[in-house]
Amino acid sequence: MRRSTALTAIAGSALLMLPLTAAVAEASPRAHEVRPDAIQRGGTLTFARSTDILTLDPTNMTDNESIWAAENIYETLYVSAPNGHSLEPWLATSYTLSPNHLTWTFNLRHGVRFQNGKPMTSADVKFSIDRVSAKATNPFAFIDTAIANIATPNPYTVVITTKYPWAPLLSDMALFANGIIPDNFGGETQAQFFAHPIGTGPFMVKQWVKGSVLELVKNPYYWQPGKPYLDAVNFTAVPDDNTRQLQVESGQAQIDEFPPFSSISQLQHTAGVTATLFPASWTEFLQFNEDQKPFADLNVRRAISYAVDREAMVQAVLFGHGTVANSILSPALWAHDPSAPGIQYNFKAAKEAMAKSSVPHGFSTTLIVGSGDSTENSLGQIVQAELKPLGIKVTLKEVDPNSEYTDIQNGQYQMAFNYDTTDIIDPDEMISFSAMGGNTGQKTHALFTNWDSPQVDSWAEQAERIFSQAQRQQLYDKIQVQVAEDAPMAFLYYEPFAYAYSTKVHGFDVYPTGNYHLENVWLSH
Amino acid sequence: MLARYVARRLLLLVPVVFGVTLLLFFSIHLVPGDPARSFLGDRATPSAVAALNKAWGLDHPIPVQYWLFLDRLVHGNLGQSLFYQSSTAGLLVGRLPVTLLLLVYGAVGSVIISVPLATLAALHPGGAADHSVRVVGTVGIGMPSFWVGTCLIILFGLVVPVFPVGGYGETWPSHLWSLVLPGLTIAISVSPMLVRSLRTSLIEALGSDYVAFARAKGASPSVVLTRYGLRNAAVAAVSVLGVNIGFLVGSTVVIENVFALPGLGSLMVQSILDRDFPVVQGITLVFAVLVVLVYLLTDLAYAVLDPRVRLT
Repeated sequence: MRRSTALTAIAGSALLMLPLTAAVAEASPRAHEVRPDAIQRGGTLTFARSTDILTLDPTNMTDNESIWAAENIYETLYVSAPNGHSLEPWLATSYTLSPNHLTWTFNLRHGVRFQNGKPMTSADVKFSIDRVSAKATNPFAFIDTAIANIATPNPYTVVITTKYPWAPLLSDMALFANGIIPDNFGGETQAQFFAHPIGTGPFMVKQWVKGSVLELVKNPYYWQPGKPYLDAVNFTAVPDDNTRQLQVESGQAQIDEFPPFSSISQLQHTAGVTATLFPASWTEFLQFNEDQKPFADLNVRRAISYAVDREAMVQAVLFGHGTVANSILSPALWAHDPSAPGIQYNFKAAKEAMAKSSVPHGFSTTLIVGSGDSTENSLGQIVQAELKPLGIKVTLKEVDPNSEYTDIQNGQYQMAFNYDTTDIIDPDEMISFSAMGGNTGQKTHALFTNWDSPQVDSWAEQAERIFSQAQRQQLYDKIQVQVAEDAPMAFLYYEPFAYAYSTKVHGFDVYPTGNYHLENVWLSH
Repeated sequence: MLARYVARRLLLLVPVVFGVTLLLFFSIHLVPGDPARSFLGDRATPSAVAALNKAWGLDHPIPVQYWLFLDRLVHGNLGQSLFYQSSTAGLLVGRLPVTLLLLVYGAVGSVIISVPLATLAALHPGGAADHSVRVVGTVGIGMPSFWVGTCLIILFGLVVPVFPVGGYGETWPSHLWSLVLPGLTIAISVSPMLVRSLRTSLIEALGSDYVAFARAKGASPSVVLTRYGLRNAAVAAVSVLGVNIGFLVGSTVVIENVFALPGLGSLMVQSILDRDFPVVQGITLVFAVLVVLVYLLTDLAYAVLDPRVRLT
């Protein structure tokens, strides 16, 4: 998923921001169990988000707003558990894996119907999953590259054969892109189908007014008895942070996506509103381009890494609502290694590393920051000030977000801020993109740092092909230690997903991959 | 006569639009960055970027792309939005009424605010009312519109919940109702300049020989003010209003953002950030036409107000 290029940066208003003091403890966000008779049915949930969706085609989505809405329309064979540490059966009830680890047989759930009442069968599953990698331009084609073929011996059995043993397959099957739509678009053309698409999810599309609102209504054929509780969900596009917040305060909307971190404490003290920080897979870092001097020098990278005060950054840009990072993988993922030796702030160590480097007296360099991106600008100023005592003169170069992508991906940068998140709960996606060298499949020269460790590549490839979670954990621990010590990036902090919502909203939960299951949400009237 | 004038002015649209698209097409391609990277995000591999650029026809040389764009344009086709994967014209048609209505509300609102204030100030130049109007006007110019908008939302959406807290509503009555506060925000930003211009020309008109003559003939104060004073003063004010509205066409984005209105301004900014070239081109085209039309309407209003103005 990509960082949304929020329009709010342009409006840049700071009207409602109050000066904040110390960090507020992160609320425990997991949904509480509620007695079934306490649940109230009906009502429309208005969910105010910063931008509109771009598409309803699950194989062609890259923006979070489309993805997170689509997950309530289309469903997958498996889904992530709420804490993101395991997978739960969903449209499939179980699977078996052949002894050679190449053949996955999924047993489909009986009684699942599409939003037009027709039953879902294995043909629909095959069609939907085959689509994901059918075209090279499909943004998530990489996720299904391990699949050799899909067979449908009977309407309720799907057999997926992989080209090589592929441990992340179950996580891949929980990806929105592998969401199930009717075989052959239900007999329509692709364009006709996505004008009024159907899936098996708890909500179906009523209408999409582009740029304004996506209106969903309850699926009368939903397979989970009694759900969804809501009659309708409206995803509205409200770009201004203040307006979203005021809509929740006035009752016009019930959920405010991504209130600024500066407003969290204030929101937590606003009557009728709850603000919650949900743990996310988001790791923010400062990355170095090893193809540019002097960043191939390990001591330079380590010196910069030591010189950065992460706690100050968490205070400055997240207003205390985040945690200092020690590894590429966030604690919201099962493979996170709490003891990974990610470099922490230590100015003495920074000076020692600099003295040992090829540029002991410092050098001049450029750090690119997104224009209008207040987070990157603040972080940039902190880095600039902190590297000065080491003799490193940092020039901040503001470029618009799109040029920032281009500069980083073409290697035309020295230092840049970047982040990584995952769309699946398996660590493989993040490790492939951010830690593996090369640029085949889902690899991007370690996220364009041009850091290359054959050792890490080999561990990552082993981890893709073994099926014991304990053994995989050991390999991911080794990878996290190696990446931390080699410092191709200075890990800064883990950023949570912030949401503010009316106290009338119950059962709202955001998973580490950012998605939400709105069939569990109900409104007290 | 009038018809010929209008027809000639409309014909002038062709070179204006051509010039604007030419300028924009080449300048937007000068900026680094491309839509494929925006679409694929921070982890786009070079092969995926190349494949998408090819699929979108962005692998042709820029002059060829411009030629293809012009060719589509003369056939009434604005092309496909890269991000929405749907026709640009369809996207614009849905959003144009919002921006148009917003401008109408802004223009009408400015007149409703400015005429009484300017009259009040001009009747006794240097008096208490004149000074108050000037102070209010200066404050009005100084306030950024996103701030005014948010204040209006808090006042009339939250404290006294008369209007919605942003959004465009579902039905036509709710559309019209939801545009009141955004329209007022525009009016507040345009009015100070309008008041100043109207006040000055009204003072001038009221001090002129023809007004003295009308008074001597026994015309009532209200007739003197409306038929002789305001009508003559309006000529200058109309062009101030016209220029301001023309200017606003390009700057509706802030107001559309604050009020969550699905207009052209917000689509324009997002499309520029994403490098969704066909949409950027389409909106620029619409804006160019709108500005030319607003100026044409201004000139026509001029002629109606002042018969001495000849439309040639």
